[in-house]
Amino acid sequence: MEGKIIVVTSGKGGVGKTTATASIGAALALEGNRVAVIDMDIGLRNLDIVLGLENRIVFNIVDVVNKRCNLSQALIRDRRIENLFLVPASQSDNKDVLTALGVQRLAKQLKSEFNYVIMDSPAGIEKGFENSVVAADEAIVVCTPDVSSIKDADRVIGLLYARSITPRLIVNRIIPEMVVRGDMLSHEDVMDILSIDLLGLVPMDDQVVVSTNTGVPLVMQNQSLAGQAFRRIAKRINGETDLPIQIPTVKTGIWSKITQKLGLTK
Amino acid sequence: MLNGFMKKFSGKKSSKETAKKRLQFALVYDKLEINEMTLESLQKDIVEVISKYFEIDTKSLQLEVQREHELSALVFNTPILCVKKNKTYNAQNI
Repeated sequence: MEGKIIVVTSGKGGVGKTTATASIGAALALEGNRVAVIDMDIGLRNLDIVLGLENRIVFNIVDVVNKRCNLSQALIRDRRIENLFLVPASQSDNKDVLTALGVQRLAKQLKSEFNYVIMDSPAGIEKGFENSVVAADEAIVVCTPDVSSIKDADRVIGLLYARSITPRLIVNRIIPEMVVRGDMLSHEDVMDILSIDLLGLVPMDDQVVVSTNTGVPLVMQNQSLAGQAFRRIAKRINGETDLPIQIPTVKTGIWSKITQKLGLTK
Repeated sequence: MLNGFMKKFSGKKSSKETAKKRLQFALVYDKLEINEMTLESLQKDIVEVISKYFEIDTKSLQLEVQREHELSALVFNTPILCVKKNKTYNAQNI
């Protein structure tokens, strides 16, 4: 098997990297792929708790890279979603314990065993970021429609280009009501500024908090709009490239319908 | 939603327009490691040079940023009112 390594990154913290990694990983596994999600945020691990697998950690990525255990011992199998595995981060070390060479060696092994390996990069552009992108075949940049997130995304996109990786963009936490009002940058504005290919648009959704509260992957909750958006993103990654990108819209209310008819909103 | 109507017809700039402009220029400043003053004085110089040859409408002059992947382009847009007669004459003499 020759799988793909995809890094999820953003520059800025708190924009939804971990949620995106967990959701895309779970959705790709639901599509029938063998998937490993890797928490690269050494010292601040969170992917395990978002996925509800925190009680099953024995070994972590630092143990594997430093050969204190085999890869198979550190892989946690999700019992709800077939073919979904997690390699947790270490909570006690810092980001300098991993080397680029060590990550590359691990990546090679992961690629031979999985269809997709999704790396959850830490915030920032230092060593942790470097380690996350060193083995990546593809990159997903996550941003929200606010100025600081977009500015950091631009920086990260530049760094990825410098490594000959052409990233694709996910705009997260879109609030359609604010976009209509002209108080939030639309995805078109964001793409004008960043000029990279779009992978998907994810609306703001209360269910994200519920999902992380309970540790049940977002994509398993059918009523979640964000979950649906991530499932479409996973399909697009998985080869359904002509699947149209759905633009989050204001669903209820007579006013929105009227403004839409009048062409005042998109 | 009424808000959207009000903004559309009052001609007031929405906050996202401001955000977009600010971001576009901030990214150029970062990339070129210049500040707003440099850009303003560059604009002034360009206006001066163009004004030597053309009558231009300095009020509707626009400075924009166009981006494609790793390339940023500064675009100066100005309507030309007319050519200055004496200047073209001089140019031909040279």
